[in-house]
Amino acid sequence: MSVLSIKQLSKSFPAGMNTIEALRSINVDVKQGEFVSIVGASGCGKTTFLRLLNGLERPSGGSISVGTRSSNQPMAFVFQQDALMPWRTIAQNVQFGLEVQDTPRDLMNQRVLAVLKTVGLTGFEQHYPYQLSGGMRQRANLARALAVGAEILLMDEPFSALDAQTREIMQEELTRVCSETNKTVLLVTHQIDEAVYLSDRVLVFTTRPGRLKEEVPITLPRPRTLEIKRTPEFVRLVGRIWSLIEDEVKSSLQQT
Amino acid sequence: MTNSRALDGLISFLVGLLLWDLLARFIIRNPLFIPTVDQVINRLVELWGTGELQIHLMTSGLEFVCGFLLAIIFGVLGGMLLTASRSFRALADPWVSMLYATPLIALGPLFIIWLGIGLISKIALIFLTAIFPILINTQIGLAETDKNYLDCAKSFRASPIQTYLKVRLPSSLPFIIAGIRLGAARGLVGVVGAELFGARAGLGFLILTSSQNFDIPAVFGGILIFAFTGFLVVEGIQWLENRLAPWRNKGKEL
Repeated sequence: MSVLSIKQLSKSFPAGMNTIEALRSINVDVKQGEFVSIVGASGCGKTTFLRLLNGLERPSGGSISVGTRSSNQPMAFVFQQDALMPWRTIAQNVQFGLEVQDTPRDLMNQRVLAVLKTVGLTGFEQHYPYQLSGGMRQRANLARALAVGAEILLMDEPFSALDAQTREIMQEELTRVCSETNKTVLLVTHQIDEAVYLSDRVLVFTTRPGRLKEEVPITLPRPRTLEIKRTPEFVRLVGRIWSLIEDEVKSSLQQT
Repeated sequence: MTNSRALDGLISFLVGLLLWDLLARFIIRNPLFIPTVDQVINRLVELWGTGELQIHLMTSGLEFVCGFLLAIIFGVLGGMLLTASRSFRALADPWVSMLYATPLIALGPLFIIWLGIGLISKIALIFLTAIFPILINTQIGLAETDKNYLDCAKSFRASPIQTYLKVRLPSSLPFIIAGIRLGAARGLVGVVGAELFGARAGLGFLILTSSQNFDIPAVFGGILIFAFTGFLVVEGIQWLENRLAPWRNKGKEL
């Protein structure tokens, strides 16, 4: 059953006298528990796509319908690094969404401890973000989104600021957390191997205006470990997606 | 780190006193120009003994505390008001810029005519000299909240009031404290200024009357107390900042 149904979604931005068309007629259905990544050359509107889903931007056309049971907040956003508020401790950052919903304090504390345990940050409740490494901050960021109990996580290049090793560890952690909590995830990334490793399906966007160029199903078996990145099937999928994006970049260079 | 900083400060201060004393004792050798350190201290002890110094300290202290606290309250509220309403800002902005750039000490004589020679005119002048840095910093802090934090609040469906209380206000706290620090320094200038134009007591009054009587050690004593108070106030606010906004200074070390 589809938990998120996106129809004919379009977005244009005014730019002086003209308008810039960022996204054109995107149709996507996402199933419950599915992990979907969105890749594309820079400027293809993939971040805009997530911001539309989350209500940070208003669509110019089309519809987004959400079919989840939880009413409070069906979707939660996991930001790029540094969206943790420096004046709040890790526990206070994680409970931000719950505070906004006026959750009773007991319940809030319980939830915070539970999600910190899920992401492996137990014991860091009273630390400030500046006292944590980049990887740990990103765990806290994920915990903040998990805390509100949203069924759909929207992740905007969450690991882009991390070094290569930490990123791989975080990818493995994310697959674990997602399978434990049965979340539906939409991930925007520019790392194709990350998209293939994590996803059930990879959506390749065209360059501006962003359209859905191709959907690549990832049929690699689960649970996946990092070793899977060395299998021929994995390498083939990465190569396939690379060539799709490369075509886009080349054709957009010829146009200009 | 902080200890060695404090020690460096103390050493620097003592060396300064020593240089002053040597200059007064062996080069100038005229207490009407520059008294030695012990002459100043003896004079202050004398004034304390007669009870005169306490009266000056109490008077100036009361003026400063009242004027400065009012400046903090109205400066922060004014800054909030300026960011809250666009039309209010359009009306107020030229006045704020103009008054901020004006040496408001110049209003001292007028204030004494309008409000009398007592406490009220002093508080008014200190308030006016101290408020603008606080008001402007509050406004800037609130207006320049990082967009990432605002997006975050929006994505969690925070209401405008929640966003204001949980994001804008705390994120502008370091700006507000910096404004308060600037305001404190200007407020101390306001104390002297206000008392020079006419007063019955206070450290500025002490400095003025002593200079008219060629009591130069007392003039130096008054100046020394001002310098020391300024130092204490600024350090105190720094301490407060470290307590209220511990992320601010430490974050940069990473």
